[in-house]
Amino acid sequence: MKLSRSWLQDYVDLAGVSDDDISRAITFLGFEVEALIRTGAPKLENVVVGQILTRDKHPNADKLSVCTVDVGPAHGGVRTIVCGAPNCDAGRRVPVALPGAVLPGNFVIKESKVRGQLSAGMMCSAKELTIAEDAQGLLLLSGEPALGAPINDVLPAGDTVFDIEITPNRPDALSHLGVARELAAWFKKELRYPDVSFTPAKIAAQPRPDLLKGVRVTAEKDCPLYTATVVTGVKVGPSPEWIQRRLAAVGLRPINNIVDIGNYVMLEYGQPVHAFDAKKLAGAEIVVRHAADGEKILTLDGKGRALDHHMLVIADAQKPVVIAGIMGGENSGVSADTTDLVLEVAYFKRQSVRSTSKRLGLASDSSYRYERGVDVHSLEEAAHRFIDLILAHAGGAVAGPIHAVGTLPPWEREITVTPAYINEKLGFNVPADEMRAALERLELVVTREDPTENRGPAWTFSIPSWRDDLERPIDLVEEVVRLHGTEKIPSSVVTAPGLVGNDDAIVLFNRAVASALVGAGFHECVNYTLRSAKEVAAWATPAQTAALALANPFVEDQSHLRSTLVGGLLESLALNQSRGVAASRLFETGRVFLERKGQLSECVAVAFVIAEETGERSWRAREAADFYTAKRHTGTVSALADIELDRQPTALIAEGSDAARAWQAGHAATAGNIEHGWTASFGLVSLAHLKALGITGKVYAGFFAIVSEKVSAETERRGYKPFSLQPAALRDLALVVPAATSAIDVQKTIAKHARAAAGNAFALEGVEVFDVYTGKGVPEGQKSLAFALTFRAADRTLTDDEVNAAFNKVQADLAAAGYQIRK
Amino acid sequence: MQDQLAALLAKASAELPALATRPEFEAAKARYVGPNGELTALMKQMGSVPKEQKPAVGKLINETKTALQAQLDAALSRIESAELAARLGPAVDPTLPSPDRGLGTLHPLTLVREEMTRILRKVGFSVVEGPEVETEYYCFDALNTPSDHPARDAQDTFYLPESARFGNVSKKSPHEKYLLRTHTSSVQIRTMLKGQPPIRIVSPGRVYRRDTTDATHSANFHQLECLYVDKNVTVRDLKALLDYIFASLLGKDTKTRFRPHYFGYTEPSFEVDLSASHLPKVNKPWIEIGGCGMVDPVVFKDVGYDPEVWSGYAFGMGLERLAMLLYGIDDIRYFYQNDVRFLKQFA
Repeated sequence: MKLSRSWLQDYVDLAGVSDDDISRAITFLGFEVEALIRTGAPKLENVVVGQILTRDKHPNADKLSVCTVDVGPAHGGVRTIVCGAPNCDAGRRVPVALPGAVLPGNFVIKESKVRGQLSAGMMCSAKELTIAEDAQGLLLLSGEPALGAPINDVLPAGDTVFDIEITPNRPDALSHLGVARELAAWFKKELRYPDVSFTPAKIAAQPRPDLLKGVRVTAEKDCPLYTATVVTGVKVGPSPEWIQRRLAAVGLRPINNIVDIGNYVMLEYGQPVHAFDAKKLAGAEIVVRHAADGEKILTLDGKGRALDHHMLVIADAQKPVVIAGIMGGENSGVSADTTDLVLEVAYFKRQSVRSTSKRLGLASDSSYRYERGVDVHSLEEAAHRFIDLILAHAGGAVAGPIHAVGTLPPWEREITVTPAYINEKLGFNVPADEMRAALERLELVVTREDPTENRGPAWTFSIPSWRDDLERPIDLVEEVVRLHGTEKIPSSVVTAPGLVGNDDAIVLFNRAVASALVGAGFHECVNYTLRSAKEVAAWATPAQTAALALANPFVEDQSHLRSTLVGGLLESLALNQSRGVAASRLFETGRVFLERKGQLSECVAVAFVIAEETGERSWRAREAADFYTAKRHTGTVSALADIELDRQPTALIAEGSDAARAWQAGHAATAGNIEHGWTASFGLVSLAHLKALGITGKVYAGFFAIVSEKVSAETERRGYKPFSLQPAALRDLALVVPAATSAIDVQKTIAKHARAAAGNAFALEGVEVFDVYTGKGVPEGQKSLAFALTFRAADRTLTDDEVNAAFNKVQADLAAAGYQIRK
Repeated sequence: MQDQLAALLAKASAELPALATRPEFEAAKARYVGPNGELTALMKQMGSVPKEQKPAVGKLINETKTALQAQLDAALSRIESAELAARLGPAVDPTLPSPDRGLGTLHPLTLVREEMTRILRKVGFSVVEGPEVETEYYCFDALNTPSDHPARDAQDTFYLPESARFGNVSKKSPHEKYLLRTHTSSVQIRTMLKGQPPIRIVSPGRVYRRDTTDATHSANFHQLECLYVDKNVTVRDLKALLDYIFASLLGKDTKTRFRPHYFGYTEPSFEVDLSASHLPKVNKPWIEIGGCGMVDPVVFKDVGYDPEVWSGYAFGMGLERLAMLLYGIDDIRYFYQNDVRFLKQFA
């Protein structure tokens, strides 16, 4: 909201207070100053009215003139000034900056020689005085002002406009009077209310039922009080210069005296008011009612609006003429030939104005104030002020008593508080009398004072009606600290406990993951959670994609929650490739949303990508990543959630499956199942998908997600298992199995039989795959898996005989179980 | 005999230094000292040497044997050295960069978050997490934000359709809508409902606003929020925390100041400005950095804490904004583009 300094000064004496000090006061009262705009002439010392007596060409410069200028006897009379302006003609009166003057921009005027000619001052342009942008010559002063008079006495006063942010709890400050009250409290000055002279007793003219028979309110709930005053015989014209100037300063275009005064009263009291052309009210009546569905109105902004039954309107006998509290209609507005007015000042409920404003997408200075809350108990005063200003500046007379329908809600609120309470909340001491004085300056009145044993006086304050935000003792703490000055809150040392709780398991998991992946050369990325439908559909089923849609997306490409982090990382890869930046390994940790048990679940997730084509060239090649690189890093991540990936059932992503839209069938796999708490996918990203994204080269990726509540910080401390110091006995065993057979399953089977064969005599220490072979000697559709078996005894060197016996038994058992042993 | 020995030695000294490989050496060695070697053959002639000459010849043979062995050793050592050199290859060029992959890097938002939580941990705050999908109760109602508050508008907040169901985001009432949390303050409520004071938590996390993306706005961004609930917590304590945080982050000469403000869930409420001497790209004496205040009694009542007994403060700030200040980054979108040239700058 914009506030004019000169306007504020009507209500509070700010003489001698600098703009910066006012700005600071507003800031520390709790209203952010977004801009400070100066208009008109600033305060100028040693700049006076002078008259040019003679003008001669400068002997040494074509474009300069040498003038004699009379600046009045008090400043030494006639002096010589060199001037470059084209309009320094004899006889003209102009502003003269005398030596010693400081013009805006810290431009110090001195007596000096200009091309050999002495110049004792400077004649000024409007631009040099910062009252206009125009620099075309000297500012010519009209009206023969006295020679030597200070220039500020001659020029219209400048003003300063403060553009401030009013927090939603302080609708009382949406007015000059409201902010002046705050400033008066801050600077410890008196608040002067406008001088309102109208009273209903002063009404002399008879009622005019031909203009307004009466007011009917059929929607009392949304309009508890409606007042209408008939003023006849007004003359519409420009409003007085001071009103125009003030409105213009705060950003309102002056229109005519009636409209301007309405705006003026709103900006003065914060109470919106409205004036109708009485003659345009059909049936000479006002009905405050809800609109009928389908009713239409052309509002003053020139737009047609369709109304519905939720919306409150002011209507005449036939049609809506105003959308209540929001905007008037063209059909009842004041025009140049208006002579009779109906002045409306009313209380519309904030919920009603707000919902209508929202439904119509139409807001105004008036609706803004109603929505935030108007002090209805100032309504009558504002109405009288409105009438006063209309009569003073548009003439006319009030015809008959004010039509008032409804009543104001009662207002009575008291808060009892002690100085001890306030100081306990603050943690530092503000003297009791300072507190009381501060609250009283905000017009809180002590209605009772009761002694307490040791907490100082218990004050009961009555709260003024415009401070609906003050409800409880704690609210008065804020008022005290505001007026005491939040800059004066003393500093101290943080008191901290000796024991600190554990960080959340998710935090610990993410930290561990980030540390492991950074160690493996991955750069951490952060991508948006909201993705395009197209991207999400590549990673989720159509039903899942539908479930991930937002109700009200803001932009099309951010319409869905993400179900994977890989999509974002691919986007990052594409961006780097398009910029010619080498990017090979990227990762991200973050939340994703996965379908589980028919609902969505928020999951903690990690993903990485490894790009083959980085554009980076090296003087020595290193081994390229493959499926198993992706599997390794996925396993590293899952291990940090206590899941050993190598031991989990793992399925190849098959051609035609849902997952094969984003993953390359036959070259990517999944493990786990989110239904059981976690899931992992890893391998080659679909080449078709990469092509669609414009990414060149293969990309391997890994993704791990775990339902957030299953991330556990409690890792069990593992027990020590003794290990043998005896030599190991090694045996190799190759099995020919169908190509689709799970290596883990085969390994588990071998381990089971080997453990059984070793019995209690010695132990199987490990079974590891060391070779996979297809080709000559292995039938089509089969593969040979070679395993290394390690046996060891706890207490002795194993003999060949006992190991062979066990190994033979393993082979026999496997053969019996249907495995083909490759010799 | 004498001559034969001398000739043998001379032949060996001529031949052995020329040997280049181990097989050649083994062959030569066999030729001299092997069972059928020349020296062995000469030694076998010892029997035919007249008795009186035996000591002298024996000595001579021993001397020859020792000398020959020394030559063989020298040859072997030379061949071994050559073999080793062949295995090593030429000397490396130490000035070439390693072709191996270096370490990755943490994102600047992670670095800033971790630095903040480290600072806060020192004064007793532990990190908590909460869901990013929230319900109206936790995001608004419990934080004293009335149902007609503009922040709750579909214009400002992302909502999920009424049909949306979340298995692990609890609702307070069945009629609530799911939304994307607009601030991390919802974690305060979940934490307070779960436990009892004293509470000292920091909740960093991702939040969402229905906003146009530009240099300073983003549809999702990150906040960090502190909550402290205990007996007799005061405005002065809150100021002490802010002073401590920013002095730790930016040096002892850093100052903070409070300006009164309004938040529905704190009373009194303040905005926090900071002043530090060495922030890049900052030319204002005071920079707004966050909001804070004393927890409003209404919030305590709502979570079942007695406001007569418990008091507390809360402080929140934007992590992107902080990172932009600390590093001098001038466009928030850089955090989400993941240009590797950007990502590598902060580790």
